[in-house]
Amino acid sequence: MTGIDFSTGLGGTVAWPWPIAVYLFFAGISGGALTIALMMRFYKNQTDNTPLLKGATVAGFVGIALGMLCLVLDLTNPLFFWKILVFYNFQSVMSLGVVVLMAFIPLSALLAAYALREELNQLPKSLHFILPVVDALVRFRRPLEMLTLVLAIAVCAYTGFLISALIRFPLINTSVLPALFVASGLSAGAAVAKVLAVKFFKEDLHSAEMNVLHKVEWPVMAVEALFIFMLFSSLIFGGSAGSNALMAFSGGVWTNLFWFGVVGLGFALPLLFSFGLGKKFAHSSQAFYMTSASVVCGMMCLRMFLLYAGQIYSI
Amino acid sequence: MNNSTLNRRGFIKSVGVGGAALTVVGCSSNNDTADTDKPHYVMVFDQTKCVGCGRCKDACNKVNFLPEGMARLDLERQTDRVEGEVCPKCGKTECNCERKYVRVSCQQCQNAPCVMVCPTGAAHRDEETGIVTMNPDTCAGCKYCITACPYNVRQINPDTKVADNCDFCLHTNLAKGELPGCVQECKFGALKFGNANDKSSYVSKLLAAKNTERVKEHFGTDPSLYYIAITKEEI
Ligand code: SF4
Ligand code: SF4
Repeated sequence: MTGIDFSTGLGGTVAWPWPIAVYLFFAGISGGALTIALMMRFYKNQTDNTPLLKGATVAGFVGIALGMLCLVLDLTNPLFFWKILVFYNFQSVMSLGVVVLMAFIPLSALLAAYALREELNQLPKSLHFILPVVDALVRFRRPLEMLTLVLAIAVCAYTGFLISALIRFPLINTSVLPALFVASGLSAGAAVAKVLAVKFFKEDLHSAEMNVLHKVEWPVMAVEALFIFMLFSSLIFGGSAGSNALMAFSGGVWTNLFWFGVVGLGFALPLLFSFGLGKKFAHSSQAFYMTSASVVCGMMCLRMFLLYAGQIYSI
Repeated sequence: MNNSTLNRRGFIKSVGVGGAALTVVGCSSNNDTADTDKPHYVMVFDQTKCVGCGRCKDACNKVNFLPEGMARLDLERQTDRVEGEVCPKCGKTECNCERKYVRVSCQQCQNAPCVMVCPTGAAHRDEETGIVTMNPDTCAGCKYCITACPYNVRQINPDTKVADNCDFCLHTNLAKGELPGCVQECKFGALKFGNANDKSSYVSKLLAAKNTERVKEHFGTDPSLYYIAITKEEI
């Protein structure tokens, strides 16, 4: 008999259910899309509103708004939401996240308004009062874009820090998690921004900008795969607590989600579409949409897997 | 002559006290256990005395006005045997394995993850007593504390929709100067409660004399719930 312990608890198995995974997903898309588009903008010294920027700012604002909705609906009483905005504890990752989001959300809306300035003219007359506001703020566009870039990366990373702080769960209590969330946010955010740019803002599938993106996507995915592998190996070398959590990858309830969802949809299918089915298919618009969709689904599966399997394989 | 010895003794004494004080200050950089001015309330659960009657649980529900179906503490039955079925401990259908019970409740961590993660400060440490407790008015119901508690002993109160934990009856019995409800009701003396920083308290003496353990100390939470475990070999 070694050590006293209990295995039951007073709470349920999963305190944070799927809406939180969906929130992590939307926050990642939002932060990732804005990061990619703003980096492109700075790198290429762009001053016009490119289709990619338009797509990314729409993804950025809509993504974070939907994410917030999930977060609020998951509170035990959504009407308590104001308390998080009024009371702060700066030791808490969540409080720091609130501070970041309070700046990020309005900024992402403003960036979308900058990028969609022409489209805003078509708004119904009653909404035209926002136009002078946007025009007045246009002087600050560059610094605000830089600030948003920093905040966008912070949003991706913060969602990782948020759950890696949970010491009871070896699968997610690891320092690679924030980095993994940034990498996967970038690849899924880029995919969404690209699709929106092509579909709604008349970007050419093979434009110079798209080609740059195609080139950076693979290294980002490679880094993401590396982080997943690091997470996996930290469990292998993580003693008995780690080896228990390893079951998540090999025969637990969530194993299929990992192998088919995260690995299959997130990595294998995109590789197949781009390299396995011939050059002609790889350059088709079908391949473009299917690859983007599978990358985005893979990222959703990753969040879902980490949140659920993470909470189930506790110490 | 007499004077100088006194002085020397006084000097040695003051060096000793100063050294001890320095040690205390040095050790207390990241927790308040060594801060003897403040109380450190602990509970000792004696497994050798607990019979699993559940009076503690009923008392807690009553004292703290908990809604139906909710409890701040539980007793986990260990090596308990259902008549006619195999014993989970030894695997035989007939045995003399002892029934063991373990108290499941907030461990009152000195280094409490729930307090650290709570975005609103609703889960906090009471200033006067150091007891981990709740401010229901500021809790947003985000459940971060519930996922962060390594012992899974937090839950949402279905009535108020805010998080809740065992706080040694801080706002009920303790406020009236009484012992926690569970401690009062235990007919077998399995629960002891008191200030471990008061060297003359019963719990201090108990902790000094008995071998006690704490649950999952490797989390680094520094819990204030001590367990006297049944260590006898079982066949
Ligand atoms: S046992 Fe859980 S609820 Fe109690 S103080 Fe520790 S972390 Fe908080
Ligand atoms: S549920 Fe309440 S007490 Fe727990 S972390 Fe959230 S705000 Fe704090």
